[in-house]
Amino acid sequence: MPPNNPLPPKENALFKRILRCYEHKQYKNGLKFAKQILSNPKFAEHGETLAMKGLTLNCLGRKDEAYEYVRRGLRNDLKSPVCWHVYGLLQRSDKKYDEAIKCYRNALKWEKENIQILRDLSLLQIQMRDLEGYKDTRYQLFMLRPTQRASWIGFAMSYHLLGDYEMANSILDAFRTNQMKGPYDYEHSELLLYQNMVLAESGQFDRALSHLHKFQTQILDKLSVKETSGEYYLKLKRFKEAEAVYEDLLRRNPENVMYYQKLIEAKQLSDPDEKVAFFEVYKKEYPKAIAPRRLQLSETGAPAAFARLVDEYLRHGLHKGIPPLFVDIRSLYTDKVKAETIENLVLQYIENLSKSGTFSADPGEVKQPASALLWAYYYAAQHFDYKKDTNRALKYIDAAIEHTPTLIELFIVKGRIFKHAGDPISAYQWLEEAQAMDTADRYVNSKCARYMLRAGHVQRAEEMCAKFTREGVPATENLNEMQCMWFQTEAATAYQRAQLWGEALKKAHEVDRHFSEIMEDQFDFHSYCMRKMTLRSYVGLLRLEDVLRAHPFYFRCARAAIQVYLRLDACPLQDVPQTQEPDTDDLPTYLPLKFVILLTGRPVYEILVKVETHRERWRGSNITTGTASAPRRTTPPPASVCF
Amino acid sequence: MNIRCARPSDLMNMQHCNLLCLPENYQMKYYFYHGLSWPQLSYVAEDEKGHIVGYVLAKMEEDGEDNRHGHITSLAVKRSHRRLGLAQKLMNQASLAMVECFQAKYVSLHVRKSNRAALNLYTNSLGFKILEIEPKYYADGEDAYSMMRDLSSFSADSKPESQASDNLEIKSDSAVISQC
Repeated sequence: MPPNNPLPPKENALFKRILRCYEHKQYKNGLKFAKQILSNPKFAEHGETLAMKGLTLNCLGRKDEAYEYVRRGLRNDLKSPVCWHVYGLLQRSDKKYDEAIKCYRNALKWEKENIQILRDLSLLQIQMRDLEGYKDTRYQLFMLRPTQRASWIGFAMSYHLLGDYEMANSILDAFRTNQMKGPYDYEHSELLLYQNMVLAESGQFDRALSHLHKFQTQILDKLSVKETSGEYYLKLKRFKEAEAVYEDLLRRNPENVMYYQKLIEAKQLSDPDEKVAFFEVYKKEYPKAIAPRRLQLSETGAPAAFARLVDEYLRHGLHKGIPPLFVDIRSLYTDKVKAETIENLVLQYIENLSKSGTFSADPGEVKQPASALLWAYYYAAQHFDYKKDTNRALKYIDAAIEHTPTLIELFIVKGRIFKHAGDPISAYQWLEEAQAMDTADRYVNSKCARYMLRAGHVQRAEEMCAKFTREGVPATENLNEMQCMWFQTEAATAYQRAQLWGEALKKAHEVDRHFSEIMEDQFDFHSYCMRKMTLRSYVGLLRLEDVLRAHPFYFRCARAAIQVYLRLDACPLQDVPQTQEPDTDDLPTYLPLKFVILLTGRPVYEILVKVETHRERWRGSNITTGTASAPRRTTPPPASVCF
Repeated sequence: MNIRCARPSDLMNMQHCNLLCLPENYQMKYYFYHGLSWPQLSYVAEDEKGHIVGYVLAKMEEDGEDNRHGHITSLAVKRSHRRLGLAQKLMNQASLAMVECFQAKYVSLHVRKSNRAALNLYTNSLGFKILEIEPKYYADGEDAYSMMRDLSSFSADSKPESQASDNLEIKSDSAVISQC
């Protein structure tokens, strides 16, 4: 690859030193050597040196100069693969991946077999999900370096990701037989499981199963072997064998709900009574496990049987004082009869516990600890809160607080009752009370801050959070650094309610940036996972990143941002006199229409398209995001524009 | 409540749970690092809606062949889901995986000196021993207990529920907080 303007030996040695300095991050030295070459008038315009100088400057944070030098270098030597590669690296560091790919391709035009450039290109291609391009590049790398492990893995993976399972499997097979010489270590084990995943995704479960059987002694991840073979047996309708696998898995983890469901499938139980009997067996088998007892309640339809079982379940929880008893069984309430049964039982417990200290009126019953009544009150409060019966909920929570005034959970529930009743102010005040009782518990602190935000007290919420953020920096800065999205989304909606549009958008965009960062995060794992062989998880990561912005955290915050942008579109700020309420009568008719579109719950991507267009408009306007340019108001916004 | 091995798609929700519950927080990349280096070692507890209510984020310390041990980077159970024994169950599942997949001899962790509830869980319910005090371990200047638990009972018989944890009743408020 002779450059256009080859350097004589002395300068060439200096140039090599620039490269070495770049690799070892000795940027200052690199610049010195570059200067030595460029100060000679004969080489002042030497393209590759200029380009390397630019790349080095970029690492020192001097971006503008970096671009200037790299571009100048390239202009002077358009046929240099080094110059193109450097330009690609510069663009990559700016996350302009599409541009970087173009540069690498140009570099490869002049030097087809440069391993480093091909590797860099393949990383960008997988990052950008150019799967066809990735396959071509991995093929070339494979042909050039057939003895390297990563060549085989990348080659196989490129086919897997394109859905060519046969090809992927053949490559992995060839690699395993020719290249993997033992020992049967973790990496070998992961590779086998990856190959098995490829087979399973091709839909050939019989083949996947025999592969698993053949190699199971070489696989360390016993859980995966069991879970996947159970899956295959079910798919192949080999129920007896599936049954044995899930029995085995339950011995390992009797709290896994899926194992019970699969076991029911394997036993081909469909009759509700059979299922109830099924759980009875596992309740006895695993007396300490919660799952079989709880799942049985969901399956039991017959009112009498349900009453008996839930009675047992409730008594156990109240006796032991398990605070999550209500949240644990809340989902049963979709069945009105079940909810009523529970209500009757709990009221009966309260009556008897306060009279005789027992759950029932049966004189032979053993007396319960005093706390049982407390937990019954606590349960009843949540029960009636769920039923939107605020008065009774408050009655029971107050009774509980009177019984034991030091239990934090009670104040949290009291706050929640007010929240549900539409009184966010009282709600957060009760949370403040709870928080003060245990200032070392961040969960209560977070809850309290959230309630403050709901009540519109952003500043107070920040101060609350500051008790757990790093000292010396503002809480919001630390929360942003730690990607604390719940806070930022709640703050965005709090600002939105206060019509502080700029502040609302600032918070929403912080969340958006976290998602961009998380997209970025995958970059290093493209090469890392090939070394570690954790390829199944790597594929899991790629698939997660493919739909990352469908995450509820993103949706919530995108919705807030879209609403603000639409609001600003309908009533641009410059038209709004600083001191007046917006003229709601003049809102154009299409606003409610757009609003309706939003509320109909279209898929996220449609909303994102809207965010994008509105972001463009936002950029085109005179308003800058995130400053206090939005008019601050102290009066609450009129309901009609408060969406 | 459902206890299962964590998947890549759980990691963001684990971060959320961590931010709600604990003072020591990490960026997503650190969760990815765990999930993609030792995918078998992290576990989650989820409610019926699939919301994460507790998790254990774990790793291997690979300093030498004969000192292979696991380490608990972070363990949390939401206050709203305490006293179900979730922390203990999460820990036992992670420990078994450490032994099976990575031949761990023991598992280590750090806990704040002031965190009585967590200390109680580790010593009384999970069989951890205090190794030493690490002064000013935490960013706010608090000391940590460095603790470890021998895992040989997991390798003798890989059924933690029937063996290792049979004698492990949750005796108290299993408020759980630990950090790497």
